[in-house]
Amino acid sequence: MTKNPCIFKIIILITFVLNGISSSIGQGLSWWEHSNPPHNNYSKELVSEWNTKNPTAKVEYEFFAMTPYLKKLTTALSTRSAADVFTVTDSILPSFTSKNMLAPINPTLLGYKNLDEMKKAYLPNSLDGYIFQGKLFAVPVIATPLSLYINRKHFIEAGLDPDKDYPKTWEDITKVGKKLVKTDGNKITREAFDFPMHSSTWTMWYFNAMIRQYGGEILDPSGKKCTVNSDAGIQAMKTRVMYSQENKISDPTVSFATNALPAEDLPKGRVSMFITHAGSVAQFGPEVMKDIKVVPFPQANPKRTVTPLYGFAIAINPQISESQTKAAHEFIKFVIKDPKAWYTNTAYPYPAANFLDLPGIEDARKNKHLDVFLSDIKVGKYVQRSSQILEINEAIHRAIERVVLKGDVPKSSLDQACKEIDTALAQQ
Amino acid sequence: MISYKNWLKIVGVLFVLPALLHLFVFKLYPLIEALKLSFFKYDLMSPPVYVGLLNYQNLWDNPLFHQSFFNSLIYMLGVSIPEWFLALALALLLNRPILGRPFIRLAYFIPIAMSQIVVAVIWKFMYHPEGLINTIIGFIGIDRINWLSSEQTALASLIMIGVWRGIPLFGIIYLAGLQSIPKDYHEAAMIDGANVLQRFFYITLPLLLPTILFVIVISLISSIKVFLNPLVITGGGPNGSTKVLPYFIYETGFTYFRMGEAAAASTIMFILIFFLTLFFLRVLKKGDI
Amino acid sequence: MKTSFFLRTLLSIVTILGIFVTLIPFFWMLSTSLKTGSEVFDLPIRWLPSVFQWQNYSLSFSRAAFDIYFNNSLITGIVVTASNLIFCSLAGYGLAKFDFPLRNFLFKFVLCTLMLPLEIILIPTFLIVQQLDLLNTLFGLMLPLVVDGFGIFMMRQFIRDIPNSLIEAARLDGCSEFGIFWRIILPNCKPALGALALLVFRDNWDQFLWPFILASKDSLKTFPLGLAQMESVDSTAYQEIMALAVVGIIPMALLFIFFQKAFVRGIALSGLKD
Repeated sequence: MTKNPCIFKIIILITFVLNGISSSIGQGLSWWEHSNPPHNNYSKELVSEWNTKNPTAKVEYEFFAMTPYLKKLTTALSTRSAADVFTVTDSILPSFTSKNMLAPINPTLLGYKNLDEMKKAYLPNSLDGYIFQGKLFAVPVIATPLSLYINRKHFIEAGLDPDKDYPKTWEDITKVGKKLVKTDGNKITREAFDFPMHSSTWTMWYFNAMIRQYGGEILDPSGKKCTVNSDAGIQAMKTRVMYSQENKISDPTVSFATNALPAEDLPKGRVSMFITHAGSVAQFGPEVMKDIKVVPFPQANPKRTVTPLYGFAIAINPQISESQTKAAHEFIKFVIKDPKAWYTNTAYPYPAANFLDLPGIEDARKNKHLDVFLSDIKVGKYVQRSSQILEINEAIHRAIERVVLKGDVPKSSLDQACKEIDTALAQQ
Repeated sequence: MISYKNWLKIVGVLFVLPALLHLFVFKLYPLIEALKLSFFKYDLMSPPVYVGLLNYQNLWDNPLFHQSFFNSLIYMLGVSIPEWFLALALALLLNRPILGRPFIRLAYFIPIAMSQIVVAVIWKFMYHPEGLINTIIGFIGIDRINWLSSEQTALASLIMIGVWRGIPLFGIIYLAGLQSIPKDYHEAAMIDGANVLQRFFYITLPLLLPTILFVIVISLISSIKVFLNPLVITGGGPNGSTKVLPYFIYETGFTYFRMGEAAAASTIMFILIFFLTLFFLRVLKKGDI
Repeated sequence: MKTSFFLRTLLSIVTILGIFVTLIPFFWMLSTSLKTGSEVFDLPIRWLPSVFQWQNYSLSFSRAAFDIYFNNSLITGIVVTASNLIFCSLAGYGLAKFDFPLRNFLFKFVLCTLMLPLEIILIPTFLIVQQLDLLNTLFGLMLPLVVDGFGIFMMRQFIRDIPNSLIEAARLDGCSEFGIFWRIILPNCKPALGALALLVFRDNWDQFLWPFILASKDSLKTFPLGLAQMESVDSTAYQEIMALAVVGIIPMALLFIFFQKAFVRGIALSGLKD
């Protein structure tokens, strides 16, 4: 024992250090996501890659049915049984942070000097949606705008050039729409244009953008009062309903809640122009996409371009230990290391600042409308941040239903929505 | 020494005990928790805060809650009442000797054997303005109806699905009830010269009364708990016209993080079904249906 | 039965028509399970796939661990059904044939437990299972479902109709109380047991919310969960969901055929006699 005290001390030191290291990475992590086939498969690949490289700190990946996913997450956090790391959608962030359901993200653990430096790695506005009170709460992996998809064949049949005559403003839609719509007496047999109407989340995405285009916002700057019934809101609503009411190029009863998939009408040629997200490219498939052109989200005022933006991000459970949190950061750093792979594998754009310049992306720019998506993302804004956002979504969705399906006057419908929203805000 | 009578009482309690204990733990305890919670404000993450009757007050002031309440009432009665009669009709039909009866019965069983998720998707598609239902009614010259996008027809559309699923279920229950009536009763009546209608009203129905009561209670209770179809098919719309109470509760608690208010709404829903059940039981035991 | 030929024919026609109406959704489901993705929602409605896509069946099962999900649903179905049969008939007997204090009150309590909406008892139930350290176990999944008031209600109704004389006679013969239950009561309500088995199994097979909230591991998910997670915002393969659902009907149909005789004769003798 005393023959070589130095070596002995070194052995103890090494054991000590090894123990320290293993205790911080030896536990393994759990990662939850909502079901979303192309995306889940890539996540699983990432996980098995990580597990091969880190056999002592394996990640367990689970995914759950999409619609009730939030309920499960909420219940799990409430009962302290949630995964260490979980994927969330951007809009619920304020609800979650206001209830301490997300752990703040430390940019230095992701390899950045500070938050400002990290912002530079992302497209200008795409990280902002995840920042509250100066702290970052989730790391985006997907960002997608809503854009306008048009049917080339229909345009050409109507004597229009899809590459030159595509609509850029809401008014343009009416102009080309009148040439595209097909009617049989009073009935519309082929809609020229329609909005998705199957979910209040989608409604908020495009309606928030529209009200912003007209210079307004859902809530006032303090976030405590509803301003949807302002002039901007009323104008947005009027635009929303004019295609079915005045211009008769749209039949909302056809697309409302009647298709299991929101954009099903477009690939079936039952509507010539439709607003949907980047994921539809994969949904429709290359055969259908041959006849479809993606153009930027319509605008009200070319001087004030705003588009809808939403995304998915990975967040960390605030109820786990510090060492687990560090491990979570390590894992997230690994997950986001290859933006191009995210895009190739999930068909969703990734909000990296240099995304369009990544090697190998040229083909996608040409053939997969990536340019349009990125240009829309650049002027995109996430939905209004509010801890009551889900309730606000529902109120606005109902307001639109009243106007579009029942023919209510925009002002009174929006007034009612504001009453409901103000009541919800008061309960904050 | 315990008397024999008391010994039997103990035995009775022992028989009931296991199930009762389970119900105490898994039903009574949550019920009490829910009732307690209705007097608190609870957002699932921070500790609950006592607020007295505030949740009930908020519900009272909330037109959306009123809408849900009445939606549920209409849905409940709209689904249950037709079920009581149509299921009986089905049972009478299937009680007759027909070729291939087991297979016919299996055919009628299929709607309840189908998974509820799939039922929702299929019916939603059938209700499309250019879908199957409109095509069928088009054959008899009725104009296209916008089933799911009109406030007037959306709830009725869901009610029809509920009835479609309920008729086989209760039909089978009625069928069993019919088959328990000894044939001798009918034969004796026929000998006495009673016709089909008379036999039905004076023999079948009275002997079927216990089954009818069973069907009434169960159909009322199960119809008020339905919320998957409104959730998946119409999202509670249009304009909240298909948002039934369980949906409202689910949303208020889990989506809006107002668990206390959800608990209060649950309590009210419980009271509704309790008194409605009591009402129908009283009416039918007094009356001579 | 002297019914006119005309009436009989009319009734047969009505019966057959009724079957068609009842089964239309099922037919669409069947045909859709063999369509390609783009044919699913064709309008006007498409009854026959252009080419039968038999591979939808094998493909759909490969999307997720459906063999596990199916198994879990089967296991939980059998266990929950069996336990309901046992505990509910025990309790039903106690409520029907014994007169102890608070008996009627307890019966009304049992009815009240049926009136609770699931959403509100979800979290307390979860917490109980969590306290018992049974999260993410099949046992934890089944435990809250092991007894349900519906079965107690039904068995109580049924057993009431069994003549007391049978029980008295058995007692005079020196039969133990449990022996009476086992040898007199149970055999006399086989039909009700069959009916209860069918209804409980069916209900369990379709259960979504509770297993969804509880199961956080893939190995614990049940069949409805598997169906639900096939849905996403885009690229939901409805033809595959239908294929899965068609297979999902098989256990139910088998059970129905098996129990049909017993169960139909069974519920018959019950009914509310207050």
